[in-house]
Amino acid sequence: MGETGEAKRWNFGANEVVELSCSQNVRYFLNLLADNLDRNDTRPVIPLGHGDPSPFPSFRTDPAAVEAVCDALRSAKFNHYSTTSGLPIARKAVAEYLSRGISYQICPDDVHLTAGCHHAIDVLMSTLAVPGANILLPRPSYPMYDSRAAFSQLEIRRYDLLPEKGWEVDLDAVEALADDKTAAILVINPCNPCGNVFSRQHLQKIAETASKLGILVIADEVYKNIIFGETPFVSMAEFAETVPVMLLGSISKRWSVPGWRFGWMVTLDPHNIMKDSGLVHSLANVLNMSTDPTTFIQGAIPDILGKTKEEFFSSILETLRECSETCYEEIKKISCITCPYKPEGSMFTMAKLELSVLEDIKDDLEFCCKLAKEESLIILPGRSVGLKNWVRITFAVEPELLKDGLSRLSKFAQRHTKKQA
Amino acid sequence: MSHLLVSSHQTEEEAETQHESENSVWRFRGSDTAAKASSVTMRVIVYKLFDLCSPDIKKPLLPLAHGDPSVYPCYRTSIHVENAVADVLRSGKGNSYGPAAGILPARQAVADFVNRDLTNKVTPNDVYMTVGCNQGIEVLMQALAAPNANIFLPRPSYPHYEARCVYSGLEVRKYDLLPENEWEIDLQGIEAMADENTVAMVIINPNNPCGNVYSYDHLKKVAEMARKLGIMVITDEVYSQTIFGDNPFVPMGEFGSIAPVITLGGLSKGWIVPGWRIGWIALNDPKGIFKSTGVAQSIQQNLDITPDANTLVQNALPQILEKSNKEMFAKKNSILKQNVDLVCDRLEDIPCLVCTKKPESCTYLLTKLELPLMEDIEDDMDFCMKLAAEENLVLLPGVALGLKNWARITIGVEGRMLEDALERLSRFCQRHLKKTEASLQAKYNGEI
Repeated sequence: MGETGEAKRWNFGANEVVELSCSQNVRYFLNLLADNLDRNDTRPVIPLGHGDPSPFPSFRTDPAAVEAVCDALRSAKFNHYSTTSGLPIARKAVAEYLSRGISYQICPDDVHLTAGCHHAIDVLMSTLAVPGANILLPRPSYPMYDSRAAFSQLEIRRYDLLPEKGWEVDLDAVEALADDKTAAILVINPCNPCGNVFSRQHLQKIAETASKLGILVIADEVYKNIIFGETPFVSMAEFAETVPVMLLGSISKRWSVPGWRFGWMVTLDPHNIMKDSGLVHSLANVLNMSTDPTTFIQGAIPDILGKTKEEFFSSILETLRECSETCYEEIKKISCITCPYKPEGSMFTMAKLELSVLEDIKDDLEFCCKLAKEESLIILPGRSVGLKNWVRITFAVEPELLKDGLSRLSKFAQRHTKKQA
Repeated sequence: MSHLLVSSHQTEEEAETQHESENSVWRFRGSDTAAKASSVTMRVIVYKLFDLCSPDIKKPLLPLAHGDPSVYPCYRTSIHVENAVADVLRSGKGNSYGPAAGILPARQAVADFVNRDLTNKVTPNDVYMTVGCNQGIEVLMQALAAPNANIFLPRPSYPHYEARCVYSGLEVRKYDLLPENEWEIDLQGIEAMADENTVAMVIINPNNPCGNVYSYDHLKKVAEMARKLGIMVITDEVYSQTIFGDNPFVPMGEFGSIAPVITLGGLSKGWIVPGWRIGWIALNDPKGIFKSTGVAQSIQQNLDITPDANTLVQNALPQILEKSNKEMFAKKNSILKQNVDLVCDRLEDIPCLVCTKKPESCTYLLTKLELPLMEDIEDDMDFCMKLAAEENLVLLPGVALGLKNWARITIGVEGRMLEDALERLSRFCQRHLKKTEASLQAKYNGEI
């Protein structure tokens, strides 16, 4: 290493820990697939691999939200540094928003504002990572948790979500995996990547199991209210009396503004369990030296959370309902892919590959790479979320684009299906 | 200004011990490292001082401990800066996720802007966007952390560096800024401290808290020393647009061919929008050393798993930076110069406080406490606590910056606040002056 013509030794180098943690994430695979695209294909690339519908007209954010941010910006009252955990008006607005329709009333002091849900994950994983601790993550998962846990050297133990049971949590496995160093269990509801919505009864069982094991529940509800099926959304906040809950969320999905970077982490701890254990104190310390969400966005939050009209949400949900139906129905017609459960929430569904009927494709990565190359269609290989030989499909795009994408998928499948099958 | 008065975060008073017996059922704990790191941050100290102020002292609270001029109308950012963001908002183009390293137009805009002062130009690929300069520090420290690695930080210094180093497990070694030499870097001290595990030295130029601007010759010596030791130079240039003295600013990147340099910058201080959370990391490394040693890759990988900067403001950055020039910064800088002149002038009449070097940049003034002249003041923390309790005036004790028995006054406020502050300081010092000194003082003032 070093420069040409000189053997100069430099004392610094790469960081191996981060390198290992990084191969786990969605961006890594999306970049890989993008590299496989055929530049000579004049058709537009159809992106069904990531979770950001904000560029599409059907998902465009509410103009009233834009005006709220403009007003906050123009007032010149929100250019200053934020306070740790966020501005009081924004914390209060989030507490009120999350308390709607549930029996548990959230206190603004328990609300910590973050630069998107990613930041909350960053802070939380860091804080929980005491030497020897482990955390229970689902398989399949949202890989940012895996990356951050790995980076903080928090041991990861995986429990399965059961496709044959509508992606419910394998609670027996959870009990078997936990030991006295287990700190928490992560539950993502509505589920990314599976697209299911957990029932009230099932959430109750999860809460009771966690309580029995002495662990807290990390409830990632970033897709809260993004439901379009039969199962109603129930927040883990409803079970805070049973088990301490760390509730994560953001405005990114519901308002289609992931670029605004505003999220939250809420400690639901009516029996002061998290407080007495010292966890809340540590969290405060980490937040104290961590970055914050943009202040003028915070300034607009009371209006955004309090005044967005129902029509804005229902119109997007209508589009998502239509897209999820299309996705499920079209996949049924493709023999080499099976979707075990019709999605009811979030923006994704998981589908299994029947590799035995495919000619020259040995796994999910190869499937997705060839699909990108031959059809300019991006879907995510399941290994990126912990399930090899499955795929994750995003259906939150314009309905016409989705139909086009699924038709390309169908053609690809036909081309690669074994002749005698 | 109410955001400055948020009550104590209670980080000190809360459960410091874990109640083992009651909680043996619950398995989770929080990280201790965070506590050690956080205790060095300023927020904790400042909140403690705010708590001592009281409405019983019938004077408005004067918060001169930390730096946020953005709340005062006289420092309001230029209208073109606001317009740039408003335009992006209305266009609907800033709502999506961006790449971890930042969107290309933002990276290009930063490259173009910093290149105005650089001979060795940087490309957009050398620039990474961060969530404020603070997050840039976080990412760098994470990228550099290796078992047994150590890093040099200045003393006095902006404490966030130490917090982040401690949290990442990097060993911190402090080098001195020499007050008798206008706060120049103690290069001999650095050479003595370095070993084969030293990875980097951090410099802050223009310097917070000292307010000096380093000369070309001095920076070149820094680069040569870094080269000799085989380490990189990390330079925090977030105050590069906040200069009101005569010494010209020279970017450390000019010496990137002697030793590789990483430059940290952002909008917070120059453009007075710290709440917008936009910063950047730029690699000044014409010989490609960061690439060949893998540091560039580590930075990118860290960015992949850490929060991203707000896409709205990133999209507005080209418009913001293109139109930024010396005239735009002149108004703010002239107010700061006036303030510095005022404070230095008044300090001459307060024997307990000595300003050894008049600041030529940044928004602070360091003053030495002549403790032997004072009756019942133990140290800088005691001085600041009593000052807060008796006068509702909050200054930063130097211990927060690694400089015991100094105090830092924020001058990035309205001039009239400083007039008020200096009057209160003068009265406070009079009250706490040792009796013999008091009578000498009285004699001096012609009262006897």
